[in-house]
Amino acid sequence: MPSALANVGRLRRPLALRPWTVLLPVIVTCAALAVGLGLIAATGASIPRTVSAFWIGAFGSSYAIGASLNRAVPFALVGLGFILAAKANLTNVGGEGQIAVGGILATATALHGADDLPRGLAVAAPLLAGTLAGALWGGIAGLLKVRRGTNEVISTLLLSFIAVNLVYWSVGSVNLLRKPQTSASTQPESLEIPDLTKLPMLSSDPSSQLHIGLVIAAIAAIVVAVVLTKSAFGVRLRAIGLNPLAARRAGVSQNLQLLALALAGGLGGMAGAIMIQGDQYVLKIGFSSNYGFDGVVVGLLARGSAVGVIAGALFFGFLRSGGMSMEMMARVPSAVVWICQGLIVIAIAGSSAWLDMRRISAGRRP
Amino acid sequence: MSASVVRATSEPNFDQEGSRAILTLSGVTKHFGPVAALTDVSLTIERGEVHCLLGENGAGKSTLCNVIFGVHQPQAGAMRLNGEPFRPADPAESLACGVAMVHQHFSVIGTMTVVENLMLGQVHGRLPRRAFAGRIAAISRAYDLAVDPDRRVDDLSVGERQRVEIVKCLIRDPVLLVLDEPTAVLPPTEIEALLAVCRKVAASGCGVVLVTHKLAEIAKIADRVTVLRQGRVVDSAPMAAADMGRFVHAMVQRDISSLGQGLAASVGVDNRAGASVETRPRLRPCPGGKDALLVDAVSFVDPQGVQHLDAITIEIRRGEIVGLAGVEGNGQSELGAVLAGLETPSAGRVFIGDREVTGAKPKVITAAGAGVVPEDRHASGCILEMSVAENLFLGDLRRFSRAGLVRRGPMAAAAADLMRHHDVRAAGPLAPMSSLSGGNQQKAVLARELSIDPLVFLLAAQPTRGLDIGAVEAVYARILSARAAGAGVLLISSELDELIAVADRILVIFRGRIIGEQPAHPSARETIGRLMAGEALKESA
Amino acid sequence: MTGEQIGLFVASSLRLAMPLLLAATGELVSEKAGVLNLSLEGMMLGGAFAAAIVSLATGTPVIGLLAGIAASLLIALVQAVLSVTLRANQLVVGIGFNILVLGITTFLFRELRGAGSSDLIPGLPVWHIPVLSSVPILGPALFQHSSLFYVGIVLVLGTWALIAHTSFGLAIRAVGEDPVAADKAGIDVGRTRYLGVLYAGGMAGVAGAFLSIADLDTFTEGMTKGAGYLALASVIFGNWVGWRTALACLLFGAATALQFLLPNLGFAVPAPLLLMLPYVLALLAVGGLVGNIRTPSALSFPFFRGQ
Repeated sequence: MPSALANVGRLRRPLALRPWTVLLPVIVTCAALAVGLGLIAATGASIPRTVSAFWIGAFGSSYAIGASLNRAVPFALVGLGFILAAKANLTNVGGEGQIAVGGILATATALHGADDLPRGLAVAAPLLAGTLAGALWGGIAGLLKVRRGTNEVISTLLLSFIAVNLVYWSVGSVNLLRKPQTSASTQPESLEIPDLTKLPMLSSDPSSQLHIGLVIAAIAAIVVAVVLTKSAFGVRLRAIGLNPLAARRAGVSQNLQLLALALAGGLGGMAGAIMIQGDQYVLKIGFSSNYGFDGVVVGLLARGSAVGVIAGALFFGFLRSGGMSMEMMARVPSAVVWICQGLIVIAIAGSSAWLDMRRISAGRRP
Repeated sequence: MSASVVRATSEPNFDQEGSRAILTLSGVTKHFGPVAALTDVSLTIERGEVHCLLGENGAGKSTLCNVIFGVHQPQAGAMRLNGEPFRPADPAESLACGVAMVHQHFSVIGTMTVVENLMLGQVHGRLPRRAFAGRIAAISRAYDLAVDPDRRVDDLSVGERQRVEIVKCLIRDPVLLVLDEPTAVLPPTEIEALLAVCRKVAASGCGVVLVTHKLAEIAKIADRVTVLRQGRVVDSAPMAAADMGRFVHAMVQRDISSLGQGLAASVGVDNRAGASVETRPRLRPCPGGKDALLVDAVSFVDPQGVQHLDAITIEIRRGEIVGLAGVEGNGQSELGAVLAGLETPSAGRVFIGDREVTGAKPKVITAAGAGVVPEDRHASGCILEMSVAENLFLGDLRRFSRAGLVRRGPMAAAAADLMRHHDVRAAGPLAPMSSLSGGNQQKAVLARELSIDPLVFLLAAQPTRGLDIGAVEAVYARILSARAAGAGVLLISSELDELIAVADRILVIFRGRIIGEQPAHPSARETIGRLMAGEALKESA
Repeated sequence: MTGEQIGLFVASSLRLAMPLLLAATGELVSEKAGVLNLSLEGMMLGGAFAAAIVSLATGTPVIGLLAGIAASLLIALVQAVLSVTLRANQLVVGIGFNILVLGITTFLFRELRGAGSSDLIPGLPVWHIPVLSSVPILGPALFQHSSLFYVGIVLVLGTWALIAHTSFGLAIRAVGEDPVAADKAGIDVGRTRYLGVLYAGGMAGVAGAFLSIADLDTFTEGMTKGAGYLALASVIFGNWVGWRTALACLLFGAATALQFLLPNLGFAVPAPLLLMLPYVLALLAVGGLVGNIRTPSALSFPFFRGQ
């Protein structure tokens, strides 16, 4: 029996590209940033110093730019996964958990045997493992959805919490992934992954840490965009999302929803693997540090467009870098960034709903 | 009474014999965006009269009711209730002024009990269940409407639910009662009772507006008739002074004698007497008796444990149209779902042609040559937000795909061809399905199902529901042509007259079983009606 | 297992279950009316923060409690405007609020108290029910809770009575099941849903206040730690029925309390597995692996008249 909860927060169709559709989020974002600046001023910090700290952290050097772009990669991948599932009217908010399990499996693969492989495979194997782990994690929610009509918002969210704790568990025991305790102060984290399994750098500039994750994300974006707009698979996803009954009657399998969530999870898992293999090199508690949730926000705001995901991911990537630098250099709490993000999400949701309502009342037949 | 006909005028024309008028409309106009639903509608409802609002599907009757009831607000025109200006902004205001409506799609809430439904919006604070049950009983007695206060509405039959709906209105002591297509859901045996209730209500001084597209039943009860066509009042006269032919002509602009039996049935007219009987080529079922459909002792129990189909057996030969009569809710929907492959039977077997398709997926069933036109096209027939082309070819995307990518151009061209062939009118093959009228949507669904080749079996469930006469004609034509091409057709309908006109023989379903078979002949109407209500047949012929 | 351990376990389970129960019961009202509040987490956190800060500032925890309720009502109000009037996507709004409230409370907390500060805050008094609390083992476990605990029980029972026996409850149920029919019966669907959301907000405020000034007497950043989502899961698990939701909350509370019991009993279960347990249970519950569920039909669908 299909559950009515299956339609929680049914995402609207992406609007035709009207000027307001693009203009409104931009205006709203600027307003939110202005509020953020106002809060910063209220704390007594100096605005020029803060802005400069932000700028340096986000754009100030090739290192900064590289780091920002690296940060954008998981946002993009999770966001792409989100819009892919959203095409089938499925809301995958479990990006954080999918990153987590991706990181676990990638670390495990890298530490146990991957360095015996030739260079290309040594990098690819943990990536693949992480992707599959994420796909499995998303697939659980997909299975529950298809078999039981379980609301995927709740299930992916719960799976997220479970997965974050799985990270905690896997680095808590030396029998799992924890590095050997040499002293009382040894942190619960894994060993560093072998150099062979680390992602290669994109530029030969030693100060830039930009890795091939960017390329992977770009390819993923293109593939997802094509699938969503031009493929038969995309048409079927859309059908099953709009009207599962009619779609089934036309021969579209309900299992497509399972596949959609698994694919979305896979992209999240890939993001987790990239985070380990590209930036962090070590699995530790909380390594996902809300990248997954932010990626979900990117996906939500993109309203089905891959271009929107890329734009949002870049924005959030630079925002995070700048925010971290703000905190370190100008002593401004990163909570301000959260406030801005929350305001942006709410304001965009509210204003686009208001726009929709105006369109509806302008000419709608019951 | 004079036989004057009220013509639509542009100036307000408040009835000066106002002492008897309860509701007066003048020049009411309502449009939704570019679509004009009502144009310059003026009419008067008088105290104590049963006023019938006649019009075919799409004429604007429901919109008019919704305007009176406050669901919609007109762009122009005025209404007066008992002489006072009447402009309800929402149903609550209408109710407060004494206007009550029995809706076509009932507005009672299934999961709550009868008494809870009746208390909704009527009480504040603690729920006075006992007191209310008493009031319900009083009304039941006064108007002969038997209802059980403590039963859940979901558990009631359709007729019982309608009675609850009516009591819900009467308990507010209205001055005007509007009933929107109340006979559409009732078996023939209960229609009399409903009309009697209307009489009683009118006799108590309330004004009664009865909205319908079925003429024959109304002939027994109407005092005055107003005819709507395409949103305008085209005729209005006392029943005593007019005849059927005039109203039919006003409603559909055709002579009653020109209507084939099927179309006559759709307007609820029995034109046996004096009308030319439409001769249609009655094909005998294929010699050799090949089956199109065999449903062999199929049972279906839903996940909640409710049994909807009870070892039902149906055999349909190629080249015949079998009608399935029955009051809604006796298993027709579930049978349709099983035949479409959307549900798996808990017992029994299903064959399409020679192939067994028990529990098979919809794709397999389509491949076996079965086409399905579902009863609710919006629920499982088509996807409103997708384009016509996508709807036509969703099951066959592979035909237009190369390397997984859809070639939109060829798909649109093929869709346009199909649409031309089946007279589906739309802005183009890429127009969203939601922009098509109900009739064109149904034609599109038919186009899709009829292009199954070879078509062995066609299931048409309530195919003409909600369609205007032009679309009804087109649907019948296609069903007949499917039969002519050698398919077996199962026509499920709650409109008995439609079945008698179109089918070759009629089965009656009741509580998930076939309880009788009758020839599709007008003389069998009464027997079929009784079977529909569940009465067992006496053994006499 | 000693009597003392049993008593402690029962007490912990109840104590941990209460904020879930309060939030879930309030959310029950809102969901029965058809509005899903994913921002429950944010409302609880906002309530916890406001209660803590005001209690500290005024020295009077009861005023803190009222402030907590006021804060979450404010969030609920904006949520209602967005979800009911503007018909915005209910879960985008919910997620947005959770982020926003986390940001605001963290920001304000640091500004007002300095990072890492966790001084004790004046908390609500603990009530010892006379006679009953002297019963061995279970006495202290059941009858020596914070005053807000007992007030909470009254609130929960009162909510059940509200839903089942008042016209407001009837309207709530109607609106969540079939808003079109309710509209035709003259019910103001928008207003009813607003009230449902506000009710959930108020209860979430009490739940949050429970955390900061009744249970722990302190505030830490993000202290709700997903309790809001557990509350949402328990409403589903409870099949939108009051007492079943309460049982679900109790179950989750007990699962969380196991974190403290099992190590005491000598079971060396890794901490993260115990932390995971409530969520795993919740997942099993919403996965319908325990019984069939029946959702209010109109849940999360915005209402447009004339459809």
